[in-house]
Amino acid sequence: MPIHEKSLIRPENLKTHEQLVIDGVDVSGHWSTFIEPRVVTDYNEALEEEISALPGGEHIHRCWQCGSCTNSCTVNAINEDFNPRYWIYLIRMGMESELLRDKDIIWQCVSCNKCTYACPRDVFPEGVMKATSHWLERKGHTPKSPSMHFDEVFTEQIIKTGKIEESRTIRRFFSRTKQGLFQDWMIEMVMRLLKHLPIGLLTRMGMATLIAPRTRNWSGAANAMQEYIAEQHEKQEQALTLAQLVDVAREDAAA
Amino acid sequence: MTKPILIVGGGPAGLAAAHSLGTVGQSSILVEKEDKLGGAPILSGYAKLVPTGEWARDAIGGMVRRVEGDSNVQVITGARVAKFDGTPGSFTAELSNGDSLDVEAAILCSGFTHFDSVNKPEWGFGTFEDVVTTTQVEQMISSGNGVRCPSDGRAPKRVAILLCVGSRDRQIGREWCSKICCTVSSNLAMEIREELPDCHVYIYYMDIRTFGLYETKYYWRSQEEFKVKYIKARIAEVTSDGEKLIVKGEDTLVKRPITIPFDMVVHAIGMDPNVDNPDIAATFGIDLEEHGFVSSANKYGAMGATSRAGVYVAGAATGPETIDDSIAQGHAAAMAVLSGLHQPVEKSA
Repeated sequence: MPIHEKSLIRPENLKTHEQLVIDGVDVSGHWSTFIEPRVVTDYNEALEEEISALPGGEHIHRCWQCGSCTNSCTVNAINEDFNPRYWIYLIRMGMESELLRDKDIIWQCVSCNKCTYACPRDVFPEGVMKATSHWLERKGHTPKSPSMHFDEVFTEQIIKTGKIEESRTIRRFFSRTKQGLFQDWMIEMVMRLLKHLPIGLLTRMGMATLIAPRTRNWSGAANAMQEYIAEQHEKQEQALTLAQLVDVAREDAAA
Repeated sequence: MTKPILIVGGGPAGLAAAHSLGTVGQSSILVEKEDKLGGAPILSGYAKLVPTGEWARDAIGGMVRRVEGDSNVQVITGARVAKFDGTPGSFTAELSNGDSLDVEAAILCSGFTHFDSVNKPEWGFGTFEDVVTTTQVEQMISSGNGVRCPSDGRAPKRVAILLCVGSRDRQIGREWCSKICCTVSSNLAMEIREELPDCHVYIYYMDIRTFGLYETKYYWRSQEEFKVKYIKARIAEVTSDGEKLIVKGEDTLVKRPITIPFDMVVHAIGMDPNVDNPDIAATFGIDLEEHGFVSSANKYGAMGATSRAGVYVAGAATGPETIDDSIAQGHAAAMAVLSGLHQPVEKSA
């Protein structure tokens, strides 16, 4: 093999011509292999501004790259590609395409907050991971994961009624994730419930399925929560859109 | 009544030494080669000083006025010491203006010389107008005109500060750390961000040496309050694409080559030994240390002693030094001179 440690090179950066003759010399195949350098050609300053506008990302600019977060990370211990220190750096320097390469693992943060306690500069890396996941989702880089659908169904129900009614949550979750309700394990569970639960409890469950129970005098709380969420959303959207406008302006200036 | 003490150099150290001697009634003669006192902070037009944030013209200007108003101090500007002979207690100094002075002892406060960036041609100084030095940025700020690109007067949108220009570089025979440039650069970065909030400032470093208490006030504050970005990379070269400066190097944290456009590149220039040091050493008959600064003979017993009895040294003549430490050394050297006068044989520590 002419190039050792090929595994360290990104496949798309390895260029080989199947048929190539230079100055009469046949350099077809691996004789013509060269590696395209991964040069950073610009900093996108909007990226840090966007992430820091989302909850949890506020202190990202404090990072001095000591690596305490990655060293203490629960997920990094089992997947060395999970590297908060590196992502914080990419965000700060605006290397968006590099960040997007890891979009499928960034959200795997388990929020154990070991990094939060290890960080000497109070960057709050766990919050940064959360903000980054939200940023990926808001920007449309990642489709909603099943767990995100579940979170949404769960939250919507709490806000609306002040209570959790499990069968409703499950039904909505299945419908959003486009899963059939009549799954084998589900049928089995319901059968056993019917067999073993006392009549009173079963009746109450049945009623709860039909009539969504509400916490008494909940509407005030519900309104307040909805208002706050809407406010925050608007603020964040504005931050992200503003940053996009900066991008557009920059492209215009360059053109 | 003793003869006066000769002080060579009217910068922070020299001004402090003259003031100290004056306060105890000891006369001194302050010889400065330029036509005004104040040393580098005044002559090079520094802006706000580390660590107080006072303007150099106020802080050092105050020291100058205090010395000029001191009847115990005779100030001679525009002159150098051409010859220096004698023994402790009876030295004779001949000046370039023809004066001859009988003095008890001498304190050298001859300071340093700013590194000349043309000696690192790969970083573009002298080739591209918008490559400037920290001293020039200080002048832009202290003049009140603000930080602007010299080529066309526009406010920069992105500034790179390169650390260790003329320091820690064996290639050009300068192995020392100039000690103050990290802190000065952090300070300037904050000043730029304050004046131009839309301007992003990147500092390229090998190590950050904002020592002691400067850590909080400069390194941390510049990041936490002013969002200055620090990138661990020693720049390979500064070129231009015709419009912008192109900074090339390796970002060592992502192991990636970088080719980044900038509006302005600032060299954080180091402190060289005073270019006159070989002459000063020959005139005063003292030793220089290996880098070319004035060698101090005794670090613990007599502050500021040189290899020659009766000749003392203070401030950046001894090596890269901060302004406040230079001042402290000036006072300390004055004390050492006084104790030498009253107790000619110095007791060892």
